[in-house]
Parts: sequence; structure tokens; C-alpha cells
Amino acid sequence: MARYLVHRVFGMLVVLFLVSLFTYMVFFLLAPDPAVQICGKTCTPERIDQIRANLSLDDPFLVQFLHFLQGLFLGRDYGTGASAVHCSAPCLGYSFQSAQSVTDMIVQRLPVTAVVAIGAAVLWLLAGVVGGLISAVREGRFTDKFITSLTLGGMSVPNYVLALVLQYVFVVWLQWLPFPQAVPFADDPAQWFLNFILPWTVLAVGYASSYTRLTRANVIDTLGENFVRTARAKGLRPDLVWRRHALRPALTPIVTIAGMDFAGLLGGALITESVFGINGVGKLAADSITKNDQPVIMAVTLLAAFFVVVGNMAVDLLYSAIDPRVRVGAAS
Amino acid sequence: MALAGLTVSVLALQACSGGGSASTSSSSAGGTAVKGGTVTVLQNTDFSYLDPARGFDGGVNAFYRLVYRTLITKAANDAADPNAMVPDLAQSLGEVSADGLTWTYKLKAGVKFDTGAAITSQDVKFGISREWDPEIGIGAPYLRQLLAAPDTYQGPYKSGENPAIETPDDTTIVFKLKAPFPEFDAVLSMPSAVPFPVGTGAGNEFINDIVSSGPYDLDTFTPGSAIKLKRNPNWDAATDTERKAYPDAWNFAIGIDGATIDERLIAGQGADVNALAGSVQTATIARLQTPQLADRVVKAPSTCLTYVGLNTTKKNLSDVRVRQAINLAADKTTLLNATGGTQFATIASTIIPSNVSGHADYDLYPSTGNTGDIEKAKALLTEAGVPNGFTMTLDIRNRPAAQAQGEALQQSLKRVGIDVKLNVIDAATYYETIGTPSQQNDAAITGWCPDWASSASTFLPPLFDGRQITAKGNQNLAQLNDATVNAEIDRIKALTDLTEANKAWGELDKKIMELAPIVPVNVENRIYLPGSNIAGLVAPQGDQDYGIVGLKDASKG
Repeated sequence: MARYLVHRVFGMLVVLFLVSLFTYMVFFLLAPDPAVQICGKTCTPERIDQIRANLSLDDPFLVQFLHFLQGLFLGRDYGTGASAVHCSAPCLGYSFQSAQSVTDMIVQRLPVTAVVAIGAAVLWLLAGVVGGLISAVREGRFTDKFITSLTLGGMSVPNYVLALVLQYVFVVWLQWLPFPQAVPFADDPAQWFLNFILPWTVLAVGYASSYTRLTRANVIDTLGENFVRTARAKGLRPDLVWRRHALRPALTPIVTIAGMDFAGLLGGALITESVFGINGVGKLAADSITKNDQPVIMAVTLLAAFFVVVGNMAVDLLYSAIDPRVRVGAAS
Repeated sequence: MALAGLTVSVLALQACSGGGSASTSSSSAGGTAVKGGTVTVLQNTDFSYLDPARGFDGGVNAFYRLVYRTLITKAANDAADPNAMVPDLAQSLGEVSADGLTWTYKLKAGVKFDTGAAITSQDVKFGISREWDPEIGIGAPYLRQLLAAPDTYQGPYKSGENPAIETPDDTTIVFKLKAPFPEFDAVLSMPSAVPFPVGTGAGNEFINDIVSSGPYDLDTFTPGSAIKLKRNPNWDAATDTERKAYPDAWNFAIGIDGATIDERLIAGQGADVNALAGSVQTATIARLQTPQLADRVVKAPSTCLTYVGLNTTKKNLSDVRVRQAINLAADKTTLLNATGGTQFATIASTIIPSNVSGHADYDLYPSTGNTGDIEKAKALLTEAGVPNGFTMTLDIRNRPAAQAQGEALQQSLKRVGIDVKLNVIDAATYYETIGTPSQQNDAAITGWCPDWASSASTFLPPLFDGRQITAKGNQNLAQLNDATVNAEIDRIKALTDLTEANKAWGELDKKIMELAPIVPVNVENRIYLPGSNIAGLVAPQGDQDYGIVGLKDASKG
């Protein structure tokens, strides 16, 4: 197991290194000159050169990339003399647009995104599993068909359409919910909770639909397995057959997939966060892309990659705990 | 008699705001503001910088007015001439020496920072000198360009005292200029002229915190999310004629989707009666026609011109007759509809918009209904030796409105045989591309806003002075380098009488348009929908002035 773990962590670091190298290369080769953007409308070529020098944009690609890595692991200094600024590790640089520390920007927004992701995950797991179970139990009947139709709708409606429709119906028209506003939990917990109801719902609808179908299919498959038939034939109580023999194997793949989906969401829900004005990592990503704020784009890309890789690894470890066959070298 | 009086006052207003017919359409959010309450400002994007040496754009300038003061400032929006420059921290406008190279200012008594410390001449000098720091001074560039500091000077943190500014005593500040600049007062109204206590603001200090000199101070700041302002107890209203500072607090809610902002303002639920926002989205305009909403709408043309720059160095376009033909053939009505319609913008025939002092009303290329004069345009093209037209490339941003404008121009010019190829460029790289003459194509759709509206000195020179054409970051998109125009720019810049200078700018505007280096397209309106409890929102030049905005009833919302 230890060997497997080391193997996976090493693989994860390689992937993250390659993602950062590739992202950095894309910006270095393709992106517009940030100095011109920073310089603004009444600019002179000398000023552009000066800004380029301050941001070390004239250094060769590899030097810039190594500085980036150095900042990430050891911290680095920006500027010279009395106006120099030390950026301590993990330093992701400073925004080209606001001069804010990118690490601070991420740290500030990550909890918001986590709240969005956790709330949505709870909703979609609950709705998906319960819906899938009901569908499976009522296979072929009206309830099953109704739930299946609902999931079809849920999967096909785009997030941004659903977000705008729900906002219009519940906020503007019925006025059951207030317009989402940035309220810290400590200031007003009730308002804070109300703010997240729509984003959680919007994010959960798509996932809940696919989880419902997945649960339904898994449970129906499992119910058809020989060991379930045997259990029934032994005269085991139906609820025990369900709980002990059908549910556990049917739900294991769902939990692992949920882990990966959740990890993906921690990288930010771009559309949902933007529509509802939630200042999480997803909105930060969307804004920084619009403003072409390279250090921020670089950071959110790395963060998303980090969560996906870690999520994958966690799922793999979970699988390997359940099924020793996936452990490297264990079979031989 | 009453009617006559009204007519006179309307005319007086017109004269003050530049005299254009469009400027009369500004209105205000009714009612009188009272002291107290909290005004909320809903906005999509964050301000660029809290540090005025770095920030330099319309949105953040309005915010700076609440927390910073400068020696000179633009008059309040409800002033008789809202474009005028008036003393703020200074006792009066600058006293200039006979050679025009030395400007002297005296500080008012009783002006203080939020720390309680008096604002001294050394603080003004220090704050202004920060502009020279290569890592901080990325804001308005005029002070660096005008003051006689050596090229090696790099701001107070690196190079110490600024040799171009003298402080003979605590209240006197003397500026030494490289060359005379009669509008130096306006330069001192720029955010980069904000005073700071000597020794503060190094590195990133003012990224998340500030030292306030205005009526408000930072209460809390959550980047990208919220800014809350509270009263600065050390601001003395008796020293400030331009800011009324009615509300007790300001709450800037940032990061809200544009469509949601409009929905909130229309719905006006709860505390949103006390809310303000930037100009509404194009899609919202049609919904503002209902009587309840129409009453709240404040609409005024901006000081910004949307135009098509014609690259005079390119084949065919180097011929003035071709450029004139393009001006004649352009269907400005269709271009206006592509921009968002008559509510959203006003057709332009001049370079200087009607709200900028110096505007003169004329149209060298008139047509019925502004749809283009095809016959005249064809005749000019024939005269220029291209009777069957030619092919040209138009650079546009990948934004729906810009693309619609590009297509409208394409259709217009097709009528005279000019085949326009649209070159769509990503918005993030657009201005860099068109500002690099080696990458620029035949024409580009872009815009320009002046840094101050009391004259056209930040309108015509940056766009048409041939000596300012640069290899990168070029603003003279037409690359017009006309000796007569250049000489006239120098002559007007040296005029000490602003009224005379503005008259001359208006005449130069017409002379430049005879050369047709651009096609003026339109001037966008600013359309605001303040909450029903907001009072004092007037926007004669399109921009809001938070200094005079307040609530009608401070207990509401």
C-alpha cells in the first residue's frame, strides 16, 4: 500500500508540474503584453519598458517559470529598494489588474466555493440517491417514468438558463428569496443561508439527475444478481436484502464518482458563481479571463488541476481499499 | 415672463455644458438629499486600485472623490459649470509666473488626513512624487510629463525629494514645469495628485488600505466583493465646497451580474431603494419606459466618442477624398441602431462631444436622416481614381455591439463599392493590437474619453498630434501627421485664456474633420436608474458625482 501511495503521489506531482508548465507556456507565448494593458490609455513606450522590467517580463521563459516555481515553494521578492515587496510561499504572484496577492485572493475565495460545492453535493447526493432508489423500486411504473422524465429535463437544461429562470421566479416574481448579496455568515446567518439556496439548487440539478439514473441502473442491476436472489431464497427479510445486499454494492461506485465531481467543483463553478454574484474561485476565474489577468488565471488553473488530481487519487485509494486488485504490483 | 426666464436658464445651462443640443437631455433624481443613511452602490467589477497613484479610470475616479482630495478638483455636478476646475485643498486656483513655468498654491487651513494630522505642503509633494515610482505610478501620466524632474528621478522611496516641487513653508507648494501648460490646474485634479503623509504608501501598502483626506474613510475592504466607507471625523465640511457628503456610510457591493443589478434596481426591494449603479445594460433600456421607472431615470450623454479610425498611411486611405467619401457613405443611423438605438447613444458629427468644453456644432458630411450620401461619396471616389471602390480591413473587438457596428459599416460602404473585411480581435488584446502601428489594419472601431472636460486638450492632441505616434501604445490611430494640425495644437496649448483656447479647439476639430482621419460614430449616453430614495444624482457630463448624492429619507431601507 505504501509503495502504491508513493507511486500515486509522484504521479500527481508530475501532472501538476506539467499543467503549470503548459499553462505558463500558453501565457508566455500567446497572451497579450500585460505591460501595455497596465500602462493604460495615455502610455509611452518607455513606460511600457519600465513596467515590463518591473514585472520581469523581459526574462527568458525558463527563468520566469523558475521564478514562479521558486515563489510557489520558497517565496520571492518583487521590485527593488524601499518599494520592494516580499511574497512569501506559497507565492502565486500579484494580480496584473489590482496588484492584490493572488494567494490571498484564492484563500479568500476558496471557503466560499467550498460552501457552494458542499451544499450542492449534499443536495445532489440526497436527491440523486433517493430519487434513484424510488425509481428502481417502482421500476416500469408511473413514478419511475415520471422521475426518469424529470432527470432528462434536469440534465438537458443549461446551468445559466436554470439560474436565470429560478432567479426570476423566486426572487423577482414570487419574492420568496432576496437577491443574492455578499453577506458574511457571522453578520447574518439567515441571509447567508438564503443566498446559497438558488446556487446550490442550480448546481445540484444537473448532478442529481445523472446520479438518479446511475443509482436506478445500479440498484436494478444489483437486484438481478445471483447473491440477491439467493438471499431472497434463504427467506431474508426484504428490508435486509435491500440494506445489506443490494444498496451497498449499488452505491459504492456512486460515492466514488461523487468524490471526483466534488473535487472538480472545488476548482470553481464558473457559471453559477458568476450568475449569482458569488465571489468564489469560479467567479475569480471568469473575471480574470475577461481581464486577461495572467497570474490569477494561472493560479486558478493550477488549483483546479490540484483538486482534480487529488480527487482522483482519493477515489483510487478508496477503490484500492475496497478492491486490492487495483494496487500496483499486488497481483503479481 | 416666467417662460422667458425658463428659456434663459436653459440656454445658460447649454452654454455652460458646451452648447451642444444633446446636453439638454440630462436630468436628475428628484428630491433633496438629507444627512444620514447608507447609500449602496451595486457594481459588476471591482475598482482598479484604491491607490490613486495607480488607478485611473472613470469608475474609480468617482470613488476617489469620496475618500481623497486634491489641490484642485472638478466642480460638483450641480455647479453652474460642472466642467470647471475649482480649488479643493488649495485656497485658490494656481498663481502662475510670467514665463508660465512656475505654479504656486496655498493650502487651506484646517485640512486634515483621517489620522487627524494636518495636510501639509510636504504631504502634497510626497503624494504627487509617488507618481514617479516605476512600480507604483501607473496612473495619470501628466505630472510626470510636465514637471521639471530629471529623467533619473524615480519617486520618493528610491530617489528622495522631488526637485521639481518646492515647499517653502507648510502651506505653500511651488511646481516647476518643463514648459508652460496653462491648464496645470486640471492636471492637479487628477488622482495622481492626492496627498499622503510623508513616508507612507511604500510597496503594496495602499493596495488594501488607504490614508483618507476626503469625507469618508475605509471601514472594511473585501477585494472583489465589498467596500464599506464610514465618515472621516477629521474631514471639515467648512473646508470643502464641492462635497456635501450626505450619507453616513457607503456600501459598494461588487461582483454582481449586470443583469441582476438592473433587476434589483427595477424591483427596488428593501434596502435597494437606497441603491445606485452604473449605466444600465442595453437590454434593460426598453423596460425603463413605464411611468414609475421613467421618473427615476437619469440620462445624459457621456464625454466619450465612439469612432472609426482610418489609417492614413494605408493605400487608398492615404487619399483625403477616399476618407471623406467613407465619412459621407457611413450610415450613422444604422450604426446607432447597432450600438443600442437612440436611447443608448447620440449620433456624432464632430470629434469633441457636446459635453466637453470646446465642442462646436457642425457636420461636414451631412445626409438625409444620417443614412449616408451615396452620390457624393461615389463622386469623391471617382475623383480619387477608385470609382469601383476597393477592399479594406476593419479591426473590431469580439463584443456583440462592436461586431454589430462593424457589420453596419460594412453594409454602408458596400453601397459605394468598398468591400470591408471584418477582422475580429479578442477584446483582451484589441487595444494593444490597434495601438501597434505595425499590426494595425486599414481601420478600427474604438472610443476615446477625455481626462478632463474643461477643455479639449486631452481629446484632440492625443488622437491627432502626429508627433505622438509611437511604435507601441499608439493613440493616434489615424496616424495623422499634419504639420498644420501639429502647429495649431502647440499654439492652442499655449493659450492662457481657456475660453479662447476652447474656441480654438472647436475650430481645430472642424479643420481635422476636413482631413477626415476618423468617422465620428456616436456618443454613448449614460442611463442610470437610481433607487427611489436616492436624491441629488445629476450627471450633466454622463458621470456620477457621489460627493453630492444622498437619501431623500435617511430612515428608509
